[in-house]
Amino acid sequence: MEHQKCYLFKPQGGRPAKRRRLNNSDLPSSWPLREATYNELWATQEKRIKDVLSEVNRTTTGEITSFVSASATESRTSAYKIPTGLVVAGPSIASHRTLFEHLGREIVAQTRSAFVLLTSAECPNLKTLLKNLIKNATARSTEEDEDDEVAGNASQKGPKLLTYDLQLLYLWFRIQDLDQLVVAFQDSEAFDGSLLGEAIELLRFWSDRTPFVLLFGIATTVETFENKLPRAAKRCIEGQKFDVTQADEILERVLHAAIDGDDVPLRLGPALSTQLLDRQKDHVQSVDAFVEGLKYAYMSHFYANPLSLLLRKDLKFEQMSGDDFEAVRNLGSFRELAERLLDNGEAALVRSLLDSDAALFNYTRGQLDEGQLKVSSMVGALETLNVLRGCFPKMPVIPLSSLYVRAVSGELNGSPAVRELLISVKKASSDIFIQILDSLLAWTPEDAQSIVCSLRERLAALMESNEDCSTPLRSEHDLRNETLRTTVVAQKVELSKQKSALSKRDAAYSKLVDECHSRLEAYFAEMFINPQEIFLHEIFLYDLKSPHKDAFTPRPRYAVERALSAPQDYLGCDCCRPAAGNDGTESTLSSTQPATTIMYQLYLESGSLINVSDLWSAFQAIMGDDDDEQGLTMALFQRALAELRCLGLIKSSRKKTDHVAKLAWKGL
Amino acid sequence: MLPDELLTILNDQYPCRELQLRQLAALYAPSLPSPSAVVAHGLEATGKSSIIKDFLKSSRIPHAIVDSRECITGRHLLERTASAVDALQNFGDGELNAPLHSRTENISALAVHLHRLLEGAGRFVLVFDGIDRQREAPPTLLPALARFGEVIPNLSIIFIIQVPSPRLLHSPGVPHIFFAPYTRDQAIRILSTDPPSIFLELPSPSAEYTDDLAAEDNAWLWTRFLGVVWDSLAKGAARDIVSFRSVALKLWRPFVQPIVDGTFGTRDFSRLMVHRRTLFQSEAALLDSIIPKDPVSTATARSAAKNTTHDLPYYSKYLLCAAYLASYNPARQDPIYFMKATDKRRRKRGGGTALSRSKNRKIPRHLLTPSPFPLERLLAIFRAIVPHAVPQSADIYTQIATLASLRLLLRSGVGGGDALDASCKWRVNFGWDFVTGLGRSVGFEVAEFLAGGGE
Repeated sequence: MEHQKCYLFKPQGGRPAKRRRLNNSDLPSSWPLREATYNELWATQEKRIKDVLSEVNRTTTGEITSFVSASATESRTSAYKIPTGLVVAGPSIASHRTLFEHLGREIVAQTRSAFVLLTSAECPNLKTLLKNLIKNATARSTEEDEDDEVAGNASQKGPKLLTYDLQLLYLWFRIQDLDQLVVAFQDSEAFDGSLLGEAIELLRFWSDRTPFVLLFGIATTVETFENKLPRAAKRCIEGQKFDVTQADEILERVLHAAIDGDDVPLRLGPALSTQLLDRQKDHVQSVDAFVEGLKYAYMSHFYANPLSLLLRKDLKFEQMSGDDFEAVRNLGSFRELAERLLDNGEAALVRSLLDSDAALFNYTRGQLDEGQLKVSSMVGALETLNVLRGCFPKMPVIPLSSLYVRAVSGELNGSPAVRELLISVKKASSDIFIQILDSLLAWTPEDAQSIVCSLRERLAALMESNEDCSTPLRSEHDLRNETLRTTVVAQKVELSKQKSALSKRDAAYSKLVDECHSRLEAYFAEMFINPQEIFLHEIFLYDLKSPHKDAFTPRPRYAVERALSAPQDYLGCDCCRPAAGNDGTESTLSSTQPATTIMYQLYLESGSLINVSDLWSAFQAIMGDDDDEQGLTMALFQRALAELRCLGLIKSSRKKTDHVAKLAWKGL
Repeated sequence: MLPDELLTILNDQYPCRELQLRQLAALYAPSLPSPSAVVAHGLEATGKSSIIKDFLKSSRIPHAIVDSRECITGRHLLERTASAVDALQNFGDGELNAPLHSRTENISALAVHLHRLLEGAGRFVLVFDGIDRQREAPPTLLPALARFGEVIPNLSIIFIIQVPSPRLLHSPGVPHIFFAPYTRDQAIRILSTDPPSIFLELPSPSAEYTDDLAAEDNAWLWTRFLGVVWDSLAKGAARDIVSFRSVALKLWRPFVQPIVDGTFGTRDFSRLMVHRRTLFQSEAALLDSIIPKDPVSTATARSAAKNTTHDLPYYSKYLLCAAYLASYNPARQDPIYFMKATDKRRRKRGGGTALSRSKNRKIPRHLLTPSPFPLERLLAIFRAIVPHAVPQSADIYTQIATLASLRLLLRSGVGGGDALDASCKWRVNFGWDFVTGLGRSVGFEVAEFLAGGGE
């Protein structure tokens, strides 16, 4: 199998049948419309996310740009050090490329500099590094300015220069109208330390002619980077550190953009959002991956669920087929709705929904809008909750992501996060209470504004009557208004709580606080309903885990191991099935199975060094010791062994003669 | 210009180098033929390059200087030499020397080129600066260059190197000029020619404290300060003039801060010394750092910087812990530490033969270099130490690849090129402190699983 470098796979007779499912005749007629809907809705969503992302890095980019332009004015004395920016960008190295490209565009646009980006992959040694540096810098200019004749003349004047000679860069730089040249090392960890040191020293040497500014992308810490550089190189550069916004913070903001707003058509359900967020925390910290996951959720919802058509705002009755209405009637939430309606004695409505498509259409349109509104106001309530929690300095900050997951699975009502807040509101003194009301004013929807306003006014009136403004008003629930009393009764000490007498103003204040508390309690109870109980939640909440699992977390090794240990699942033939008495949990060996899988079973049972002769006799015993077919068995054996080696499971060993070494263990 | 006047000017410019300048003047006296090769040697920052450059410039000897630090390969050096000489000669007679546009591919070609270029010209000096540090130099470079003078009679070459070996040029009788390192007094004398000012702006523009007075104070304090810096720090760790100056400049502002604040007068040197003695006791000023740090307040700055560290993903941390354990635990003890069903054996951990144990424990394991391990072992240990089941997904392999490109894990050994090869070995590239911090952030105590306990 190894005599050729690669093999060309030429399939015969078109694609396999299972791929053709989409072209079946019973493909819902709504398919093109759904695709269009997806494109429209995702485009708006994507734009929101992009806006958030560019907003997030704006501060860092701005800082770096101003650092670059500031360094242009520095004087270049003998003790001159190359100005250097250390961009600490976090361990999600996949996003560094975008960051630096964005940075490059900003720097070129806002300062009089050229920008060259170097990565470790294209710079294995000093010569290639310089070649790439010169090539990238000069190529950029010929594209934009089209003055290659000047550049050509300059290089023709003297003798032809070597491609890695920085003289080339200098000659090019001289004819450009630029202040400096920014060289960015995207993944400085992956560069060899001594190579980086040599490059820095060399650039320092040329910086009296070509002014350089260096940028290093750092994924770990500045200390790690400094330890790696040689001392002489460290002496050549001086600069400052720039922190890029942390990945989890960006994630929170992207999630916020994805769920907040009345016009968000589709939201992630509890299981899927938990899965996506956990993947971020446990495996990859990459916002791009999260956005991809979100996009895939949109795609699979619109492409696979005909009812997603209902999310189209301008949907007409004719655009839905009878099958679609049948599908609505089969929804779990429809059945719940019907039962609820029947319990309320609205049998006529249920009957009309079941009988008339038009009635169902109109009813679902209304209900869908209502349901979406409920969810979006729930997200709004989450923010109110977070803002109110922020008013109390001691309360730990709960990220929006975890609140959302809890809310969307219907667990938030009466949860500790809400209870803790409500109790604190009760106990709040007037200075905090003002803050609470102020932030409520900013966050509540308009219909509740008047209530908050009146509370605010009453509080203001109360505060005015308070002569000594130094002590804030306290509510009756405040701990400071309670005293512990010890009494000795029958030789036992009893502790009892005693409310101290409230002043008149405090009593009035307590009433105010109690009113606010009860209103908040009612508000949260109304908002934090379980979205899975809303009619049509299947349409505006997408909560299928398995498509994401298959698409984003492949399990290559598990697949190979499973195919080798259970070939019958893949071959679909009767001959390889386990024996009748066996219930399939234990894999059995039979001569009808493919030779490689038999070998794999034997392989799993053996130790780290395998005697090939023993393996052969075991194999022969399974295949049946027919003397006539020994040649064939031997051929199968050899092929199976070769295939195991090709899969990287065994290799020949020098430790013992006639043995092969086991390289892979199952389940890792 | 007469050589004597020249020497006085240069002596003023470069104090404490009279001997070397006299030697140069003797070797390159206009009336005498100059030697074909001269070696100028001395440690870093002893004034070799600048003195020779200025000497040649002011004595108007036609010369070219080729700096090896700018040359990436030996070939590059040859090309630059040819073009430097070419540029200079052409500048003199103003006509273009066409044949030189061909490449200078080896030393013989350079010899031919130089021969042609310098034919009929007067004396010419070629300076190779730092040629002992030339990258990718051919082994015969130095001896061959030293013989150029025999082929080209009017050429004289100066090699500037740091430490000459006895048979460097393979030819006897080459004059050497030694640039000795500066002594304490010399170093202080050189640096005191240019004192930095105490006050960044004069406290009050009144007539009482004039610029002259300020300059006098600056010089007075700076000289004393230099002496202290030398005795406390620079004597041991920054003996050359450049690093001495950088250390002194780094400490200067915090040192004079009390004067600027008005606590002490400008001449209260001894009280100032006692007050600021911590500056000279800590060695922070000797450490080079890219981000300039105030030597006084490093501790506070460090704690502030901790706030915005980027965190690794959860499983990446466990992978790094597993990698550390795989590097520092002997493979044959893995069953003792990681197998879940061997309680009996685990109790025997303290046993074994006492002799071999004591031998092994002479050096704590974490001080040794990490030993390479196969990826399979890393994955096995990873699964053993993670407290719950981990799905067998590709995300784990992605993280290993990410950690490898962050250089936290390194591929090593013969199979280093191919990551897919199962016999490829890996190694960790971080230390004990890093991994304990990492482990604690996920609630995993690395020391419990480390052979020898990690003390």
